[in-house]
Formats: sequence, structure tokens, C-alpha cells
Amino acid sequence: MTAVPILSVENYSLDYAGRAGAARVLQRVNLAITRGEVLGLVGESGSGKTSLAYAIMRYLPPNAREPGGAIRLLGEDLRTKSASEIDSIRGRRISMVFQDPSTSLNPTLTLGEQISEVLVRHKGLSQREAYEHGKALLHKVGLKDPAAMMRRYPHEASGGEKQRVTIASAFAAEPDCILFDEPTTALDVITSRQIIDLFRELQAETGVASLYISHDLALVSRIADRVAVIHRGCIVEEDPAAEVFRSPREDYTKALIASVPRPDRRLVTGEPPAGATPLLAADQVTVRYGRSSFIDSILRRPAAGTIGAREISLDVKPSEILGIVGESGSGKSTLARALVGLNPFEGTIRFGERRLASAADMDQDYRRSIQIIFQHPDSSLNPRQTIGDILLRPLRLYGVKDNGSERDMVAKLLEEVQLPADFAKRYPHQLSGGQKQRVAIARAFASRPNLVICDEITSSLDVSIQAQIIELLLSLRERFGTAYFFITHDLNLVRQIAHRIAVMYRGDLVEVADVDTLTRAPSHPYTRALLDAVPTPVG
Amino acid sequence: MSINYLLKRILTILFTLFVVSLLVFGITQVLPGDAAVMLLGENATAEQLAAVRERLGLDASLAVQYLHWLAGVLHSDFGTSLRTGLPVTEMMFPALGRSLLLALLSIGLMLIIAIPLGILAALRRGGPTDLGVSLASYVGVSLPEFVTATLVLITLANPAFGLFPATGYVPLSEEFWRGLHHLVLPVLTVSIILIAHVMRMVRSELVDVLHTDYVRAARLKGLSPRRVLFRHALRNALLPTITIVALDVGYLLGGIIVVEEIFAFPGIGRELIVAINARDLPAIQAGALIMAATYALSNFMADLAYAALDKRIQYA
Amino acid sequence: MPDALRRLLGTPQGQLGSLIVFAAVLLAILGPALAPYNPEQFHITARFQGPSSRFWLGTDQFGRDLLSRIMMGARSTLPLALLATVIGTGLGAVIGTLSAFLGGRADEAIMRTVDAVMAIPGLLFALLIVTSLGANAFNAILAIGIAFAPSMVRITRSVALAVRSQDYVKAAIARGESSRFIVVREMLPNVIAPIVVETTIRVSFAVMTLATLSFLGLGAQPPSSEWGLMVSEARSYLFRNPWMMVWPGLAIAMIAVGFNLLGDGLRDALNPRTSE
Repeated sequence: MTAVPILSVENYSLDYAGRAGAARVLQRVNLAITRGEVLGLVGESGSGKTSLAYAIMRYLPPNAREPGGAIRLLGEDLRTKSASEIDSIRGRRISMVFQDPSTSLNPTLTLGEQISEVLVRHKGLSQREAYEHGKALLHKVGLKDPAAMMRRYPHEASGGEKQRVTIASAFAAEPDCILFDEPTTALDVITSRQIIDLFRELQAETGVASLYISHDLALVSRIADRVAVIHRGCIVEEDPAAEVFRSPREDYTKALIASVPRPDRRLVTGEPPAGATPLLAADQVTVRYGRSSFIDSILRRPAAGTIGAREISLDVKPSEILGIVGESGSGKSTLARALVGLNPFEGTIRFGERRLASAADMDQDYRRSIQIIFQHPDSSLNPRQTIGDILLRPLRLYGVKDNGSERDMVAKLLEEVQLPADFAKRYPHQLSGGQKQRVAIARAFASRPNLVICDEITSSLDVSIQAQIIELLLSLRERFGTAYFFITHDLNLVRQIAHRIAVMYRGDLVEVADVDTLTRAPSHPYTRALLDAVPTPVG
Repeated sequence: MSINYLLKRILTILFTLFVVSLLVFGITQVLPGDAAVMLLGENATAEQLAAVRERLGLDASLAVQYLHWLAGVLHSDFGTSLRTGLPVTEMMFPALGRSLLLALLSIGLMLIIAIPLGILAALRRGGPTDLGVSLASYVGVSLPEFVTATLVLITLANPAFGLFPATGYVPLSEEFWRGLHHLVLPVLTVSIILIAHVMRMVRSELVDVLHTDYVRAARLKGLSPRRVLFRHALRNALLPTITIVALDVGYLLGGIIVVEEIFAFPGIGRELIVAINARDLPAIQAGALIMAATYALSNFMADLAYAALDKRIQYA
Repeated sequence: MPDALRRLLGTPQGQLGSLIVFAAVLLAILGPALAPYNPEQFHITARFQGPSSRFWLGTDQFGRDLLSRIMMGARSTLPLALLATVIGTGLGAVIGTLSAFLGGRADEAIMRTVDAVMAIPGLLFALLIVTSLGANAFNAILAIGIAFAPSMVRITRSVALAVRSQDYVKAAIARGESSRFIVVREMLPNVIAPIVVETTIRVSFAVMTLATLSFLGLGAQPPSSEWGLMVSEARSYLFRNPWMMVWPGLAIAMIAVGFNLLGDGLRDALNPRTSE
């Protein structure tokens, strides 16, 4: 006899009414979570997973329409409750942890107040009692100096610390059910791991029924008891976590699984010969930013400014894929931008036989050979130019010629990235994120470069789109022999495609090794910590 | 608030005041019209004119004249009025006081009306209250002060109804109620403009804040709607109001010139107009400098207040 | 372009704003031709009249038809205000873009000076300039243009900086494009739209400030039928025929509202969306 579910969503549908009629966001969703259980809900962007969370919390926009279904918390249908009843249920019987702790905490109130208020409201404690209790909760979630943390403001705490506070608030009133909406997406890998460990610990201890929403199938398969896959508003499949990777039933699930980077599945072969001359090398390159202020120059203080990248020496061989891994602030993008002349640098860059000491030394030959693709497709294409104009530019600038007309050359470029030729007439806002990134790739390849720097180019894309882009990059390499300087924070992905991996931490190059050595015997403690923290899929 | 921040702000305002004084002096120097001729009249002889010029220091170079003037200003000596022969300081500072009274009363009235209405409009977004408030703001912002003043005059100062006096000023220290009676229309006029601006800003700030992630998180924590509104939303939405009020002082100073002129209110704006019409150079310079300095100072104080209240601006 | 026009006319602000501005421009061009009476003509027997079937808006102290005078006044107010705005925007845009382009110390120096200049309230600044140059319509527009320039500098600079920090500009720099190409082909098209929006809204300020200056006797001079001047001249007769002050005042307000609405509408219409 199965236990009574704490949370049960029954045949629930949701529409958003818009100018062009109603858009169906959730279609007859069925879910149930029992006490002590963790249900993972995995979906890509637009799948409706976040809408479901807000539907459960009864926080829907005015244009939401609910054509049918029920949402039961311990048997009671939340849809029938009044606003004041919902207010007393939220936070007390069901609570939520959000994705970005920086924006979901009030910047002008102390962390202490923001956790005490939950206790005052839901446990009827006095201000002082709530404060003490809050401190105890902060201690429980692993914060080292709870008393000090209570007095701090959000901007004075790190992302990990803030998320611990939010988790503490969610657990504070001892709710029956907690919804976790991508709680680690905004955090770096190591902190994410710590938060996930915290979650597991608390969940096991309290037995709270948890809905863990994420786009990361690998992660969810490790922490959930069961996994539900949601696609375009429908629950496509639901399995025990251990099964979902091993024996997926539906096509969509299979495709999703196939897109998840698995480090044990190498996608690339062809190591460059060991003694080859590097194509591009950085010799003790340092990049600073920030100017010395006026006051500094009056007082003759030495040029301060922060160091973005410190004395990096690195090289890339022809046709090699060099992966650069690090968290935000590690300096990987800073370095990459210096290599294409966007950041001033100290030190030398060697390009073949030549030595370059600054951006001014980068002539057209260099620029032709070394191209860069940026992370955000929205901002890397000029919104007021057509795709055709955008692609024509490098052709014209570098004087690329073949027998065809300009239009034909553009069509050919589009075809290389598997986009239809008539996209040339369109504007960027008419394309999806993945399509825009393809255009950016086509633009980079127009001059047939020797090296393409990819600066987190798939980080803002869904996993399935990411897989397609990676496939495209690899096939272009097959065709043109291009080398890649592939920057990412995704260790699983980079282990699939790189020959060698460089690890960066806070501006320093911490380790460079080929993939095997790095995985089996990393020499630097940071690399080891990173490898430990990254969730690999179960099964 | 760090010392660094304070120092920077002080340096900035000193620089501002310096530039303003340069501008005021520089622009007015282009004024045609010889001060000496104005004093002695058209029929003065060349020697007389030269003597007066020398006495007034008009024969020195511009730079020296400026420094001379600036030195005086720093001692609260703005020179002698060409029109009345009295020290300009005696004319201007009492006038400034009266203008400040007008300004403060107007700001007070504005705060009482604009903030609640702005809040209401934001809370009932899209409803009739919101529409009414937005419309009123739009219109209020598009009416130049003299038009508003005129409309106020026509309706409330109509001799036929005898509600309020059209012009005139009675010091509150002499006759309190009669003084107040005379103040109503100018204060009302200035307030209308301020209300239109601030109401709009408050509404838009609050609407933005109500859509933030942290307000959503607060609501989903099950906190009472009252607590969410007052402790979370309003606090953050009203913080920028300080800046807006400071900016409005600038508007106010510009508009006050017109309003004082229409209601014949003896404030600094009116003194300035009179000085302009009489080509009274020292008075023009003084009036302009004082007004600009008041604006700069009010911005300065608003900056400090904002920095003290918003914890994030500690390390500027 | 037609796409933007369509979007403009899709919103209520856009529709209303365009309508008002269009009507005003039409009035300014055709002016007296459409007026029922000769604006200069006295009707001695019909002085100080309120609105009637004969004189739709009433008459002034000389018996001149108010409606005709207002229509004529559009000819003064509108072009003058537009000219003042163009001067202010032109001046402001050049300095602002230059400052953004130069960057570093020069940029800081320029901006601090601009901030200091902005400590002088706009009307006051214009007043001072007009006083020095002499009170007439042309000097008034010059004064307003100069007084508006600092805030346009600020706006242009911030727009230019925002555009400059976009990845597509960085991509162009990385490609090795010339500065000229980057500024003209990559940045300018994206900078122009917000500037156009701001400029349109500024016209409404220019209208109001010009009217105020004329009202104070420091702008357009008689016998011009500039609206601010009309209000000023009507002051003495305030209670005899209040309509003489009301109509020009409302005309000013209408134009100001019209340009405000048009600006708001343009803001939405010219904004490139990131994804459809």
C-alpha cells in the first residue's frame, strides 16, 4: 500500500492567455511526491517546469487560466483555497528555494531579518526568539559564524552563503513539502556541490517531500529518488533515478540523454603529433583591468587595478582542441580576449615565427587566423544588420574570394553551419539562440581561420542544442583542420572533446595536462576538487 | 559611509560651485550695457564714466574682475545693486528665505499627496485609479508653470468669487492667517507641477519593485501582504524618492521664477526677473549664483542621504 | 522602416502622439490659410468675447479671432522649438559621443564639467543667456539649445557606452575593423534610435521653455503670435476674458503632450527585440 502523497498534481493543465489566443503551458500533468521522497523534474527551457512550480505555489500571473486538474497538498486541493489561506500555507506547509540568491533576497534588509520574519510569521515566535532560532538554523546549514551572518546584508555574503540562508528559510517552518527551482544554477561548480550535499543532508534528516527542478539530468539522476522528464508542458516519462539513464523509454528522453556530456564518451580523436610547433602561444601574459584613479596618480601610488590573468604561459598546436576550464572570475575569458586584442596585456604572444607584444602588433594576417566566438548570441550579432550583412563583413574585410558572387558565398557559409540560405535576409531577432550561435560560428569560419576561440559558446543554450553545436564544431574541424581554444566551465563536456585541458583559478593557470592524465591523476588540489564536484550521470 | 566617499563628494561639489560661478560670471559679462553708463546716465562725460569705471573695477581684465567678485562672494558680499544702490546681499538673502518657505511648503504638500497617490496607482495597476493618476501626471508635466499658474488664478483668484488674493505677500511673522491666505495659490501652483512629476516616479518605482525576485520570494514565504508591502516593497521603492525630490528642487527653482513673477511673490526668482529687466548686473549674478548653488547643495545632500540609507553604496 | 512605422501606430501612445504632431505640423505649414479670419484683423465691435458660433474660441482685446491667432502661432512656436531641440541635440550628441569615444581621463573630465554645468537649472541657464544676448526669438532658441545640451551629452554618452560594450562591437574590434567602420556601421545605427526618442521628448520641453521665455518677455517679441507671448499679453485682461490666456496655454500643453506621446511610442517602435 503506497503512502498518501504529500504533494499530488492530478491531471493539471495551465494556459496563458495572450493576444493571439491561449498558449498551453502545461498539459494534464500528473505527479506525486510522498514523505521523504525527492522527485526530480527535468526539462529544457520552455518546458513548463518553472510554471508548474509557480502553479503549485499558487503564484500565477493574471493571464493564467487553469482549464482543469487539481493540486493537492496532503489531500486538500490548493485550487479551492482563498488568498488568505494560501498565504498561511506558503512558507509554512510548502516553501520554495529559488535559483538566484542574489536577486531573491532583499538587498536592503539584513539576512537575519529575512530569516527571522519567517519564524515570526509561521511559528509565532517573538522577534528575539526568532532571531535566536534563526541563528541556530544558520549554524545548521553550515554557516561558520551565524551571529555575524545574521547582521550582514546580502551583498556582503557570497553566493553559496546566500543560498544556505535561503535554504534555511525554506526549512525554517518545517514544511511538508519544498520546491527547489534550480538552486545551484547560479553557483559555481564547487559551491554547487556543497549546496547539493547540504540539501541531501537536510532532506534525509527532515524527510521533507522535495520537488527538485533542474535542466541538468546528470545532476538530478544522482540526488533524486525518481525522475520525471517534462517536454513542452507534458510529462514525457517518469522513472526511478537509477533507471532513467540506463533504460529510457521515450524518444525525447533518449535524445536528451544522448545530449548530456559524458566524459567517458570521447567524441574526438586525432591527437596532434607530440613535437609539433605551437600554432599560438602565450608567454607570461598578464592582463589587468581598472585604471588607476586620479587620486592615485596625484599620490603617485603604483597602478593598482585588479589582475585578471597572471603570467599565463600556454600554447595551442595546429588542429588541437585545447580546453580551458575555470569558474567565473578565473580569467579564462580575460585571457581569450587579450589573444584577440580586446584587452591590453603584458607579456608576449607567439604566432608562428612572430612575436607580438601588444594588440597593435596584430595585423590582418593574425586576425584572419585567430577568430573568436562569444557566449551570448543575443549580443554578438548586431541587431540592426541582416544575417547576410553580418556574414559578408569578414568576407569583405579579409578579401575572401571564390568564383561565386557575394550572395553565393554567404549561402555557402550558411550551408556549412546547416542553416537555410534564405536566412541571409533575416534579422537576428528572428532566429533562435542556437541558430544565432550557428551564424556566429559561420562568421568565424568565413576567413578559414587556423584557430577559433570559443568563449563559453554553449553555456546559455539548452543541452540538446549544445550537443548539436558541438557536433557542428567537430565536423568543421574535420573539414578544415581548425584548432580550438575551448573555454567552458563544464568539465564533463570538455573531457569529451578536448585533447588537453588547462585549468584556471582566480587568474592563475593551475594545471595543464592531456585529458587522461588530468582525469586519472590530477596534480593540483583545485583540479581534484573540481573533478569531485562535478556530477556524472548515473548509469 | 566611508571617509573616501564623503571626501569625493565634497570635492565634487566644490568643483561644481566653481564651474557654476565661472559660468554665471562669464555669461553675464557678455551683457551689453555699461554699468557706468547706467549709474551716471547717458549724459555723463567721458572722465566721469572713466572714474566710475575705475571705482567699480571695470577697467581691470576679466580674470581679475572675476577673482574680485569671487572673493566678495566668499565673504557674502555680492556688490551693490545698480538699481537700488543697496547691497545686493540685503536684497537677495531675505528673498531667498521667502522662496525657501514657498519651496518647503510646496514640497511638503507634494509629499502628502503624490506619494500616497503614486502608491495607490501602482497597487491598482491598470485600474481606474492608475489611469487617472497617469493621465494627471502626463498633463501636469506638459503644462508650463505659467499655464498652471494662469489656470489657478482664473479659477481660484477670480474676483467674482473672492476666494484667494491674486497677488501679494504678507509675512507670516506679521499676520499669520492672512499671510497663509496669500501663500495658498503660489504654493498650490508649484505643488501641482511637483506632484505630477513625483507621482509618476513613485508609481513606476513601485511597479518595478513589485516585480522583483525578492518581493516574489517574500510573498512565497507566506509573509503577510502588509509586511511584504511595507517592509520589503515600499522601503526600496521610496529610497529613490529622495533623489527625485532633490532633482525637483532644480525644477522648482526654474519654475519658481515664473510663479513668483505671476503672483508677485517677493522671492529670489522675482528679484532675478526684476534685476534682468533693469540690467542690474551684480543682482543678476548674485541671484543666479544663489539659485544654482542651492540646487547643487540640495543634490549634494540628497546624495549623502541616499548613501547613508542604501547600504550598498558604502564603498564608492 | 515601414515595419517601425507600423509598430508605432500600433500603440495608443504612438497613434495619439503621431496624430497630434502631424496636426501641429500641418497647422504650422498651412497656418493662416486654414484660419477662418485674418489673425491681424481687428473686430472692434466684438472685443473680449468668449467662445461663440462666430468666433469659435473668442476674441482678444482688439477683437482679433483667437482661433486664427492660435493657428498662426503654431508657425512661431513649432519651428522655433524644433530648431532649439536640434541645436541642443546636435551639440549634446557630438560632445557626448566624443566623450564616450575618448574614454579615460578625458571622458571623466568632460563628464564632471557637464555635471557641474547641469547644476544650473535649465530655465535659469536659458534666462541668463538670453539676457546677455538680447531678448528675441532667435536668441531664445540659441539659449534653449545651449541649456539643453548638457543633458543630451549625458544621454548620448551613456547610450554610446552601452552600445560600445556590446559583444558585436567587440567582435568587430577583434576582426580588426577600422574605427571608422565600427563607429559608423556598428555603433551609430544602434545609437540613433534612443537618441531620436529622447530628442522627440525634448521637443516638448523646448516648447514649454520657449513659451515661458516669451511669457517673461525674453523670447519672441510682439507682434509675434507665439503662444507664450499671447498669454503674457493677455495677463492684463485676465479676468475680463480668461479665454485669452486659456487657449494658448492649452495649445502649448497639447503640443507638449503630443511630442511626449510620440516619443513614448517611438521608444517601443524602434526598440529591436532580441528574439521573436
